[in-house]
Amino acid sequence: MNFNSIIKFSIIAIFAFCFFGCKERKSANQKDAKYSLYILAKDGKEYLLTSNTLDSGELKPEISGVYLDPKDMDRDVFVKDGFFYHLNRKSNRFSKFKLENGKLITAGFVDIKDFSIENFNWIGKDSLLLTGLNLSGYNHSKYGFINTTKMETITQGDMEIPAPSGKYTTLSIGFVEKKGNTLLVGYTYHLAQGVSNYLTSDTLYVSELSYPQMKLIGTQKDTRSTYPGGINTIQSYNFKDEKGDYYFQSCPGIALGNHPDLPTGIFKIEAGEKKIDPKYFFNISASKIQNHAYGMWYLGGNKAIIRSERKDLFKGLGDHYSTAHFEFYVLDLLSQSVTKLNLPLDKGTRRECVIVEGNTAYISVNSTREGNYIWLYNIKTGALKKGLQLGGDTDFIMRIDRLKD
Amino acid sequence: MNISNELLEKYHLNTCTAEERRMVEEWLFNTDVGDLDTTILTQDKNSIKQEIWQEIETVLPQAVKPLPKRSNAYLMWKGAIAAAVLITIAGTIVYFVFASKPVAQADYLALNNPSALHVKYIDATGYDVALGPNTTAKINNIDGMIDLTGSIMISPKKDISLVFEGTDKKVTLLKGQTYIILKNKTGVKSIIVISERNLMDLPPVMQKQLSTQFDI
Repeated sequence: MNFNSIIKFSIIAIFAFCFFGCKERKSANQKDAKYSLYILAKDGKEYLLTSNTLDSGELKPEISGVYLDPKDMDRDVFVKDGFFYHLNRKSNRFSKFKLENGKLITAGFVDIKDFSIENFNWIGKDSLLLTGLNLSGYNHSKYGFINTTKMETITQGDMEIPAPSGKYTTLSIGFVEKKGNTLLVGYTYHLAQGVSNYLTSDTLYVSELSYPQMKLIGTQKDTRSTYPGGINTIQSYNFKDEKGDYYFQSCPGIALGNHPDLPTGIFKIEAGEKKIDPKYFFNISASKIQNHAYGMWYLGGNKAIIRSERKDLFKGLGDHYSTAHFEFYVLDLLSQSVTKLNLPLDKGTRRECVIVEGNTAYISVNSTREGNYIWLYNIKTGALKKGLQLGGDTDFIMRIDRLKD
Repeated sequence: MNISNELLEKYHLNTCTAEERRMVEEWLFNTDVGDLDTTILTQDKNSIKQEIWQEIETVLPQAVKPLPKRSNAYLMWKGAIAAAVLITIAGTIVYFVFASKPVAQADYLALNNPSALHVKYIDATGYDVALGPNTTAKINNIDGMIDLTGSIMISPKKDISLVFEGTDKKVTLLKGQTYIILKNKTGVKSIIVISERNLMDLPPVMQKQLSTQFDI
């Protein structure tokens, strides 16, 4: 071996060492990372980023993100204990993914036919209740119990929710909450008129089903607002407080219910009760917010964050998602006072954008002028500051999730 | 070793004898440089220089040589032939691609799907289009003017800009992405242009209808 060969060999060896060395470190980071961020880039590509902190720094999806194949993944993905769960409607495949060596790897799957998820609920550590509709018409309520360790269906079947009747053709299930040995299911009905238009009933319904038989016990109607909740794989619309009181939001604005003459409101089902509290109604549209809202997250201590639109800043559905017009407000659920957060206007009609940890609420904001940042809201003092920046090609931070509790 | 030009030529034409072939190959694969004929270096350098320059001059551009004047008839025929060829090619492509659709001219697409149920798929030169039920779309490829009633799903093969007729709404569609365009009533408020990746920002009821219609 001459001198040249030795030099060449050494260079290759050093490169290989660096390459594998770096790769190892990256995968270790992903495995242990605390948070994941789902990014839609300006060129239409989507990425998953992971980070151990949301407090500071900068991440660029095109550099450190895991590229997501649009055929397999979309942002209606939910996260638990380091795994990502997603139903591919086209292939009927409900998959469990994990991040490993800079790739999203399938850790298991189960096929669920003719199913579109409306809501997911973790009933136990690895028992997942999926509630939804038939893909073939969105007019029939179904459920599936999945063991997520084995990725096996335990049981599946129909839920005895009254099918749409009269002029109504489809329905939307907006929330599902287990109360003892019953299941409370909130929903409403629609009349779809082609792809560009639809009507929503002026009534919201909450049915009580026996659990786990899914047989109808009774149904309550409420006409103070319509379209309860929403699809919770994309955004959160409800929570339970420290006492066990359950709150859910209604979304009659054009982005969900398309019944904008009714107000956006918050309803309460008290702990131990199975009916909506008729005395409680937090009218968001009549408050100083004066707009419709979509998305709600609990901060603790009877306080919640709500994300509301600005009807004076968008023209219609065509620019509702692309124009920065969303504001964040802190609500006091008891006194019904509202406090505006001094954040830049946010864009994106539906986003999972709040994580609450102790006294800090991490809020992701896609600002046209100020860029994409995670903002830190101090729940105690009300102080706001910029944290992690999502730079590079980032167009929208579509969701932020805590990978591990 | 005496390797002449003639011998090399014979070698390449594969017409040399076995002996000659051996000689040439020996010479070709020999890495020694001892055989270089250096007699040429002793020749007059100036005469070689002269020769090279003369050769170069023959390929150098002449100092502003006026172009030969073409007759008007030549120009007319040249234009006419080019136009005829272009029109024939464009006509053939349009004929094959849009055989079943009414087409006014190559730069102007008039698409129509009168079916109340089915989607019609069209592979045009600049984009793939799926026409929703009860949809008509007229696209002027020169000024990007689009007149649409109904719903289309479009994947451009290169970046294109569209202007909605009767409005000042202009959108740029990027190559390789898929967009849904909806327009039913007149006016800019009713126009929705959304990338497939933002489909989940539309109301779930519409999103479900679109997913079913266009098989997304």
